[in-house]
Amino acid sequence: MLGESKKFRYRYKWVAYLMILPALGMLCVFVFTPLVMSIVRSFLDSTTGEFRGLFNFRYILSDPVFLRSLLNVFVMSTITTLLVVVTGFLFANVLVNLNKMVSGVVKVLIFLPYLLSGIVTSIIFLLMLNYGGGLFTSILYTFGKPAVSFATEGLWPYVWIIIPSWWMGFGYNTLVLFAGLLNIPRSYYEAAELDGAGGFTRMVFITIPNMKNYFVLLLINLTAGGLQMFEVPLMITQGGPTNNTTTPVLFLVNNFKGDKPQNAILAGALMMMVVIALVNFFVFKIVRSEKSQDA
Amino acid sequence: MQTDNGIAAGVRPAAEGLPARSGQPASGKAPARRGKRRKLAAKAGFIAIGALVALLVVFPIVWMIPSAFKDKRELFSLPNHFLPQKFSLDNFREVFELYNIDFMTTIGSTLAVALTAVAISLVINMLAAYAFARLEFPGKGPLFGLVMLSMFIPGVTILLTSIKLVSDLHLLDTFWGLVLPGAAGAYNIFFFRQFFLGIPTSVEEAAILDGSSQFGIFVRIFIPLSVTPMVIIGISTFMGYWNSYLWPTLTIIKNTQWQQVMQVLRILNGSKAGDYGVVVAAALMALVIPVTLFAVFQKYIMQGIAISGIK
Repeated sequence: MLGESKKFRYRYKWVAYLMILPALGMLCVFVFTPLVMSIVRSFLDSTTGEFRGLFNFRYILSDPVFLRSLLNVFVMSTITTLLVVVTGFLFANVLVNLNKMVSGVVKVLIFLPYLLSGIVTSIIFLLMLNYGGGLFTSILYTFGKPAVSFATEGLWPYVWIIIPSWWMGFGYNTLVLFAGLLNIPRSYYEAAELDGAGGFTRMVFITIPNMKNYFVLLLINLTAGGLQMFEVPLMITQGGPTNNTTTPVLFLVNNFKGDKPQNAILAGALMMMVVIALVNFFVFKIVRSEKSQDA
Repeated sequence: MQTDNGIAAGVRPAAEGLPARSGQPASGKAPARRGKRRKLAAKAGFIAIGALVALLVVFPIVWMIPSAFKDKRELFSLPNHFLPQKFSLDNFREVFELYNIDFMTTIGSTLAVALTAVAISLVINMLAAYAFARLEFPGKGPLFGLVMLSMFIPGVTILLTSIKLVSDLHLLDTFWGLVLPGAAGAYNIFFFRQFFLGIPTSVEEAAILDGSSQFGIFVRIFIPLSVTPMVIIGISTFMGYWNSYLWPTLTIIKNTQWQQVMQVLRILNGSKAGDYGVVVAAALMALVIPVTLFAVFQKYIMQGIAISGIK
């Protein structure tokens, strides 16, 4: 390496720059420029453009609906994420016990919902949840029970946001975990078996520790997606009843062209980046610290 | 093969309950036979659980299909029937006769946007990935860091200022305003770079000696080797564009010929609440292309999932 002259190492540098230019240029235009615009504008006055310090952040953080939306999304995305990871992990363990043909069919079937957008998923669930005569009303009717308004009554709005959200991610994440299970070297289990370790012991001391990187990956992906949850609440409950299921993205999009100062909305959007980064940091911290306890 | 890899251990508690179902105390039997029967019962148990979960998960999609063929009066009649009592194509006819939306134009527009985006994104992301994987140049580390940094910027943070930017670039309400913002992607660059790093350098050494240019090596050697990752990334890019709702809704306002399919489904969901079969039929039609793609490229997609977990 050291023997190579710089000129030789860098002989293709202009080709390299040319190859990077289109992608990097577009990232600069369509990702970094709007990011800088968001950062700059969240410190400026929305109408005069004067520097306002933290005014916009204070404004958005004192908005009860925005705070409510943060709480809502924390609750809904945490439950959804944990459900996806736990059910996915359990079902991945079922899949490895099936023969190739059966598991092939099952894998395809559970993957299908992943192809659907939040909009189509919501349409499917709205069809089943219809108050006047959807599938669930029909089942209740058969048992002589009155219809339930799933978008407004009690805890049902949360349930029917969480279930479709889980449904969309369950299959895909199960398949990722399934791939992870197959990557654990068989010799680990053989050694454990020779030591007389039972099924539960092997699960706790071999399977789960070896899957840690997969859990981190899934949790980070799912929380980033979950905290930006938008289409399902928009379609199923429109954020209602009275903002009980509204989410930050729903709130920010709805208020961008409203009476609130526009730059305060941008400050809120910027804070979402910080929130997501913090959650990811904690996910990483928690899962990593467990790892060091095992060692 | 998979049954013996020892992971079975993980779900033993569930399986242990199963032999009891055979109803016979196993005490009198030889241990080997008892073990065999237990294994068989466990196997049946796993198949039962697997089939049950799979059916439960596909059920909502299965329920939707015959619903699209029920007429207005039947769709929400009590009690519901799975199959339509009277098979009707009215919902589909109505999708094509909407006064404010030409559904076929919508499908065509969405297809045009998604396919263009796939082509552009493959070209620019693969070029960048090749340079990061194979070439040396000053500033390589920091530039790659910059690319990776963009992966950690959530969509919501830049969404609203992106609209302003796209409007300043006079791309609001245009085809390119839909295509360009999502074309470059850090994850795609990362994915291709990982793949290229796995290709042995001996592959291109001969070509370099023959005086091939770097661009020539990329086109003649790397692209033919990259069919699998190209299909994987191509499909996921396509699905991302096809399923995108928020960006088209915020940027296609007056020029309705570029309305995208999810945007239109949401409009229908609002306007056809009293005639929901039409919405279901439109949603079903919006699924035809993704499901066909999945059916054709299923092998690649499943492979892609297995790779994507490994980082």
